[in-house]
Amino acid sequence: MADETKSGLDAVSEGPVVSDDTETPASGIEAGAGTHATVDAVREVFPGAVLRHEIQAGDQHVVFVDAAKGHDVLAWIQQDPAHDYAFLTDVTCVDYGGGAPLQVVYQLFSLTHHLTLRVKCELPLDSLEIASVCDLWQTANWLEREVYDLFGITFTGHPDLRRILMPHDYEEGHPLRKDFPLRGRFSRAEQTLRALNQEPEHFYIPSELQTGLEPQHLTAKETRATPQVGADSGSEG
Amino acid sequence: MGLDSGETGIGHTGLPLGMFGEGSPTFLTTKVDFVVNWGRRNSLWPMPFGTACCAIEMMAAFASDFDLSRFGMENMAFTPRQADVLICAGRVPYKLAPVLRRIWDQMPQPKWCVSMGACASTGGVFDVYSMVQGIDTIVPVDVYVPGCPPRPEGLIYGLMMIQEKIRQESLTKNTILRNEDPTLVGQPRASESEIVELTGAFGNSTQQDQGGGVRAAESGDPLKDLL
Repeated sequence: MADETKSGLDAVSEGPVVSDDTETPASGIEAGAGTHATVDAVREVFPGAVLRHEIQAGDQHVVFVDAAKGHDVLAWIQQDPAHDYAFLTDVTCVDYGGGAPLQVVYQLFSLTHHLTLRVKCELPLDSLEIASVCDLWQTANWLEREVYDLFGITFTGHPDLRRILMPHDYEEGHPLRKDFPLRGRFSRAEQTLRALNQEPEHFYIPSELQTGLEPQHLTAKETRATPQVGADSGSEG
Repeated sequence: MGLDSGETGIGHTGLPLGMFGEGSPTFLTTKVDFVVNWGRRNSLWPMPFGTACCAIEMMAAFASDFDLSRFGMENMAFTPRQADVLICAGRVPYKLAPVLRRIWDQMPQPKWCVSMGACASTGGVFDVYSMVQGIDTIVPVDVYVPGCPPRPEGLIYGLMMIQEKIRQESLTKNTILRNEDPTLVGQPRASESEIVELTGAFGNSTQQDQGGGVRAAESGDPLKDLL
């Protein structure tokens, strides 16, 4: 318990406090066999793929899967009728800092069996690469782009892996990583200058600006019309 | 002033029909400054640039309870080319900065700008990598309305301050106020040192110097860690 006589303003004069890097990520209760039907089935079909199985926040089952087998496991539990995880609620990522591996998080829901499952794959910082699940769930497209944009994880096999929130020519890195400074790497003057020299028209590839197209028209092969400095000045406004 | 009411402008007593009756003057004397400023300040058309919760209060100011049209702001000009005053309501991320600047550049002279709320004026609580730390680094601002978000009365007061500012302008004295340099498109409005001063870190939540950038002692080359 913190000193109760301290006020919130004391922290301002004390200055920044470096967080404890040795602290391990919050973990839940180790779950035994028979607590979640899908995890038991995955243990049988993919021996050795399940590294850890925990229960967090009361009833949230979290299963840590070997990243190399992640795609196979996810494909199987999506397609097997006994599990049928048709709904990918979210793909996100957690960086606990201190050199800990990044955790790619797949939040799944089975509409037919009313089961939720959180699948996590841990990626060491020196090989941030994992197979894309775009071929299983269409919704993973933008979600994986977001994870790529903010954490720098490469999703192999992704049809259109480019930044989605930050500008496409953002050069300061991946902002939600723990080693990213809060105010960015460039000075505010440099950031302002770069921001004003963006071309808003180039935030999108041409087909994104057309409506009524089928999704398969949105391919990654389409190249962005990169503005040439000095040339092509006639296209402006 | 064209105040004649009759076909001939002559009453039946044979005297000119003036504005206050027969025989009164048919003209007014005034100052050009007064007439021009009177027209400008009572027909301000706002260009609402609402990006966040401040825009909700801005809408309330435009709606019937507060009714900004009492002050001549009858028409929300959702196109910058028919607007006089830019109301920037809400935080502006760097990705939106060129859009805001282009809207400002497209507005015809004379034009004014209101920065509504803490985020538009200073960056507010968003002292982070992605947020413009005050739109005065991008466009010139006439009136800052404080608040998070400001009440509609606050915005109305800010716009009335713009009206007061217009009332004191003169065609002969204030001609260079809004002069623009077309070569400055894509350049920040403020100089580099001014941006450092304007965007100085608030509090000390990170190990960074004023004005951003990684502290040199820690990292050396700021680009070293990039992928």
